[in-house]
Amino acid sequence: MDKAEIDVLARRAGLQKAQLEFPDDLAAAAKQAAEAAANMKPLDDQRAEPWPPMRAGSGL
Amino acid sequence: MAADARRKRPVTDLHFLSATQAAAAIAARTLSPVELMQALLQRIWRLDPRLNVFIQLDGEAALAAARAAEAEIMAGRPRGPLHGVPVGIKDIIDVAGLPTTCHSKILRGNIAKADAVCVAKLRQAGAIVLGKLSTHEFAIGGPSFDLPWPPARNPWNRDHHPGGSSSGSGAGVAAGLFPMALGSDTGGSVRNPASCCGIVGLKPTYGLVSRRGVFPLSFTLDHVGPMTRTVADNALMLEAIAGHDPLDPGSAAGVPGRYAARLDRGVRGLRVGFVRHFHETDQPADPAVTAALEQVARCLQEEGADLRDVTLPALGAFRDVNRIILQSEAWAIHAPWLRERPGDYGQLARRRLLAGAFMAAGDYVEAQRLRTSMIARVEEALRDVDVLLCASSMDPACRIDNPADIERTYPRQARVPFNVTGHPAIAMMAGLSANGLPLSVQFVGRYFDEALLFQVARAWEKATGTDGKHPPIE
Repeated sequence: MDKAEIDVLARRAGLQKAQLEFPDDLAAAAKQAAEAAANMKPLDDQRAEPWPPMRAGSGL
Repeated sequence: MAADARRKRPVTDLHFLSATQAAAAIAARTLSPVELMQALLQRIWRLDPRLNVFIQLDGEAALAAARAAEAEIMAGRPRGPLHGVPVGIKDIIDVAGLPTTCHSKILRGNIAKADAVCVAKLRQAGAIVLGKLSTHEFAIGGPSFDLPWPPARNPWNRDHHPGGSSSGSGAGVAAGLFPMALGSDTGGSVRNPASCCGIVGLKPTYGLVSRRGVFPLSFTLDHVGPMTRTVADNALMLEAIAGHDPLDPGSAAGVPGRYAARLDRGVRGLRVGFVRHFHETDQPADPAVTAALEQVARCLQEEGADLRDVTLPALGAFRDVNRIILQSEAWAIHAPWLRERPGDYGQLARRRLLAGAFMAAGDYVEAQRLRTSMIARVEEALRDVDVLLCASSMDPACRIDNPADIERTYPRQARVPFNVTGHPAIAMMAGLSANGLPLSVQFVGRYFDEALLFQVARAWEKATGTDGKHPPIE
């Protein structure tokens, strides 16, 4: 994620204050997010459902 | 309380009495809850300036509650299985009339109006709240030195971190400041301090303990759990706090069990699945940790368990799914403050919480789909074995003043898989490193089968006496 992309996303998220005061933290946060997303290996089954997000066995 | 009654009480130092021992002695009128509270308060006044366990100590109220408990017991009105036993509460959990700061400037001065459900349940069982305990900021940013309160220290060696985020809970229980504490666990935050401080920490099944009144970090990953010095205490505490809460959307409808019922049944005939790849190939552990895990495995085999190897998805896959879900959900909670008051967070929390602003909706959905498949993989493994054995931390706690080492070692852990899947997991001491720091092991069970988990953990504790090992701090 380059600086221009970070700036667009930060503005869209309403983070103008953080952009001014903590640009390094924003860059580090964007890097973390990009790495985690890039590392995920999507499932082969495109129709797999994500819900319910949390179902603890048959107890719920 | 009469002098002849006091003579009959257990000879253990009062500060290292377990909750079970203290409750039994108080019920038998051989120990005054006032005497116990005074002994702990004196120890807190002496040691806490070095350990930074408390955000706020509520000593006067705790002493008054101890006097009330003594009067009730002397009048033959026992309140419950923890009557008169002190407990510490992580400072993201509401205690009526006390601050809930989440160890952050953001919530400085925020006074809780009511007890969290888990605190109310502890009080119903007779426990006495001692105060609010240090945490990583909002249970995500720490250990940090740029917050209004200093970070907790490890009582085994004050130069080292105590784990987190339930850092005050872990350090205080280990140091004998109180016999039990509440923690919360979203990516391992009960089990990390339990591992670093050599105590017992349980992340129960998702939904077993109500989260109402606990400041959220990640709705679908948050768990509240007991932290104690013994396995029996952990079971006792879970019995007090478990149960359905119709006002917690994640609460499970099942009836809580009798968790201490099978404690001393041993492991003969139980099938234990050893997840070796976590610490051998996924994140190669410190050799002392590897040796300790092998010793646990051998010990359980000698006690009659049937040990077999089990393969789960790689740790890195669990970690990425946990991170995307956690940071996306945390962003939803923190966005207003991150927009208006970014400077009121410490740097670590700010960086981690801001990451959620850069997560795409598609990434979150993909992570939830992967999570469903991971749940299926762990469920499949637990059809062939009764319990899993694996690493908790891959390293002993590093120095607290070395950010690079903390950054390197904190993610080297095998706890996040079971936040992702919601299975119950318990971390406890597996030995000591050459420089005297706790090493750890983790056991993982089937949904709602905490009783079996306690049974296996107790077998290990009994065989090696981990409950009798305390940090050398006086």
